[in-house]
Amino acid sequence: MSSFIQILIGGLLQGGVFAAVALGFSLVYRVTGVINLSQGAFCVLGAMAMYYFEVAFHWPTALAAVLSVLSVAAFGVAVGAATFVPAVARLPVSSTLVLTAGLLTFFEGVALIVWGNQPYALPPFSGQAPVAVGPLRIPTQGLWLAGGIAAMIAALWLLVNRTALGRALQACADNAMAARLMGIDTRRMMLLSFTLAAAIGATSGLLVAPITSLQFDSGGFFTTSGFIAVAIGGMGSFAGSIVGGLVLGIAEQFAAYYVSSLFANTLALLLLMFMLLWRPQGLFASGPVRRLDVRADSLVHRALVRLSGRRALAVGVTLLIVLVAIPQLPLPNDVLSSLTISLILFIAVLGLDVLMGWTGQVSLGQAGFMAVGGYAAAILSTTYEWPPLAGVLAAMAISVVCALALSMVTGRLRGHYLALATLTFGLLIDSLTVGLVDLTGGPSGLVGIPSFAVGAFEFDTTERMFYLALGLSAVLVLLLEGGMRSQFGRALQAVRSDQLAAAALGVNVGWIKVSALCISAALASLAGSLYAFNFHFLSPEMVATPRSFEMIAMLVLGGEGTLLGGLFGALVLTLLPTLVQSLALYKTATTGALLVATFLFMPEGLFGRFAIWLSRLGGAGRTRSSGAAIETTAQ
Amino acid sequence: MTPALDIRNVSRRFGGLLAVDDVSFSVAQGGLSALIGPNGAGKTTLFNCVTNLFPPTAGSVRFFGQPLARLDGHRIAELGLVRTFQTARVFPGMTVLENALCGAQMHVRTSPLAQMFRTPGARSEERRLRDKAEALLDLIGLTPFSDAAATDLPMGAQKNLEVVRALMSRPRMLLLDEPAAGLNDSETADLAALLTAIRDVGITIMVVEHNMSLVMGIADQVIVLDAGKCVAIGAPAAIQSDPKVINAYVGSDG
Ligand SMILES: Nc1ncnc2c1ncn2[C@@H]1O[C@H](COP(=O)(O)OP(=O)(O)OP(=O)(O)O)[C@@H](O)[C@H]1O
Ligand SMILES: [Mg+2]
Repeated sequence: MSSFIQILIGGLLQGGVFAAVALGFSLVYRVTGVINLSQGAFCVLGAMAMYYFEVAFHWPTALAAVLSVLSVAAFGVAVGAATFVPAVARLPVSSTLVLTAGLLTFFEGVALIVWGNQPYALPPFSGQAPVAVGPLRIPTQGLWLAGGIAAMIAALWLLVNRTALGRALQACADNAMAARLMGIDTRRMMLLSFTLAAAIGATSGLLVAPITSLQFDSGGFFTTSGFIAVAIGGMGSFAGSIVGGLVLGIAEQFAAYYVSSLFANTLALLLLMFMLLWRPQGLFASGPVRRLDVRADSLVHRALVRLSGRRALAVGVTLLIVLVAIPQLPLPNDVLSSLTISLILFIAVLGLDVLMGWTGQVSLGQAGFMAVGGYAAAILSTTYEWPPLAGVLAAMAISVVCALALSMVTGRLRGHYLALATLTFGLLIDSLTVGLVDLTGGPSGLVGIPSFAVGAFEFDTTERMFYLALGLSAVLVLLLEGGMRSQFGRALQAVRSDQLAAAALGVNVGWIKVSALCISAALASLAGSLYAFNFHFLSPEMVATPRSFEMIAMLVLGGEGTLLGGLFGALVLTLLPTLVQSLALYKTATTGALLVATFLFMPEGLFGRFAIWLSRLGGAGRTRSSGAAIETTAQ
Repeated sequence: MTPALDIRNVSRRFGGLLAVDDVSFSVAQGGLSALIGPNGAGKTTLFNCVTNLFPPTAGSVRFFGQPLARLDGHRIAELGLVRTFQTARVFPGMTVLENALCGAQMHVRTSPLAQMFRTPGARSEERRLRDKAEALLDLIGLTPFSDAAATDLPMGAQKNLEVVRALMSRPRMLLLDEPAAGLNDSETADLAALLTAIRDVGITIMVVEHNMSLVMGIADQVIVLDAGKCVAIGAPAAIQSDPKVINAYVGSDG
């Protein structure tokens, strides 16, 4: 019995932190209509600041805590004003969502640079000795945590309900247009909500850091948990966030105790999937549902990036010749192997482009399909000794089945919920790859994967793997280029830009989305299998959710809806850290920063820019108006 | 003969507002009907009811005898009932020609896989559709812009493009919401000629239009809505002299 209560208390404490993160989500969502995926990173930043002020500089705890929250809030103002608020104003909601994933990656990268990759624990505020209540022993930090979070919730409630500022925030949440008419500066309110959320995150981070040790990438964990909490409770509902957080915390603690700590997360995610199916609006439905369509109509316009058939052929052939020649150059072996990795990832990014770039469906779970493909093929060819080729094909079939199952959930969801269902899928796969130790080898990974082979021909050298990946990506680009330049591709684009008008012309929107998801899953699966065969090894973090974010960065950096663009994104993000070893530490931060900057300053991406430049170069070949059209739409 | 479109006692409520109030009429096969009425009369809402964008709160709609209740938007289009929108909804990020080609989605016979592999079947289909789209664009004078971004066209031209796109879907009946908005007089005359030509090839048309000379010149039946109610139905000449119609317009002006 007392262990039951002990677990319950543990669950409430953990749930308190989730609730605080969920509150941050809800606050920003209500004012801006966007889920800020970087929310969890503020916890880590808060704890990190606290570490420096308290442990390194030996300042008094109270002073250090206040300074930590203030400095994270200041950082939040700067980042919010430079990126988040402009993005909300001029990007489609789904792009802003992806941009916040970039911010999360950026913050994690910053923490990695400052903190390195070892875990840190802060000293408890008031000594190590726990308080004994009857047979129960409660760590004093638990009391600090519970009290701190309760105080924070009370303060937020007072701010929102009892002050003029709070009323202005409310007004923006209820009706932004009306708020503007009343003279409220909605951009400032957005920035304020972002900053407040940063402060909330920092506070809960420094309160929890003495209990749970944190490291640079713990932000992702907080974001996920807070997001599950908010999805259970109801997006945008303050009461829902708190209830959702507590429910999740308690459920996870009990699952960890009675089932297995490896599966705690799995159960939470299954709970979330179930919620998304049963009651997507959450337990506490909140106010009017805002801005939920796939991409806001007025914001969907984007550069018309089209190379004429002849130019596209010329670019493709040139690229292919260069790539074919590369292994013949005297290059260090690690350059060739990272080129191979770029090409393998490019295959998965191609799939993502079909889904996100062409069909407009944001997927935050592409690495999940890579994991399915990688593990299925690896397990079939090691444990069951299938020929690798058969393993790869079977893995693709399994991934497509997963995609079909996922689309039964997503088929009923739109906008944010859809993107978040894919995130949930990715996280679910993450937790399964870690948890199913017998099948996957668990956290330490799967070893002894053979080389890829077709019949008796083994791809057992870097050079052979390079040519395999190159050949496959060339064929895939050719096929997809054919598909995208014909009616199928036009149907995808029609769904991307205007589902209603597409349906009015007889396009079966649901079917189109499912096919795009299946194509993208199949390609990710193929890439995952090749990845496993290439390294002869596969571990969960090689194909975990940060990889999904990285592939989105590759796609956006290269150019959505350009097919070839992903290659450039993959090359930049894979090759640069190899070429300049000193950059490796900065890779995570750079990936995030590049994703954010591309969205804000070059939405058409590297290859899109190149294509527009190329079309303008020989504009005389086509009608004048088309050159001008390309120029104007590019702005 | 069954009418092409048969609307029976259709109403649509938005909260406290009855935007369409117990409207009944039918459109004969091969006919060209015009739906007119002052701003806010409920014309667009009636189109939305017919295509189940906002399903009617009461009443029924039959298309060539088939009830449309609870059919998805794309199923209605597959039956041959295709609409355009009051604010043109061309697909951004696509050229004018690609937009037109999008209209033919329902009639694509080759599979996505065949299109990817560029099989002879897929290529000949693509060529056939392209020829057809180019011919239609030519008919409406959009050929010089076929490679321009569709959203770069002026509003009037975008509405024309929407008509072309709808025609590419080989409809049995077209619902056009203010196709002449944004066109000048000579372009309107061209549109009138196009609409009669479409009717002459056997496609039934219902058009919402504010331009009276266009309506009176080409329609064989005029339906007048005012504040959601159908106040008059008849031949153009009879409608023009109907005091209730004059009242609806004068009343709304004053
Ligand atoms: N989705 C909706 N929600 C609430 N009210 C609506 C909605 N759509 C239309 N209405 C209301 O229904 C009434 C009829 O609008 P409708 O757009 O059908 O008029 P209309 O005859 O097409 O006018 P116009 O000539 O200006 O296009 C208007 O009062 C409008 O405000
Ligand atoms: Mg209207």
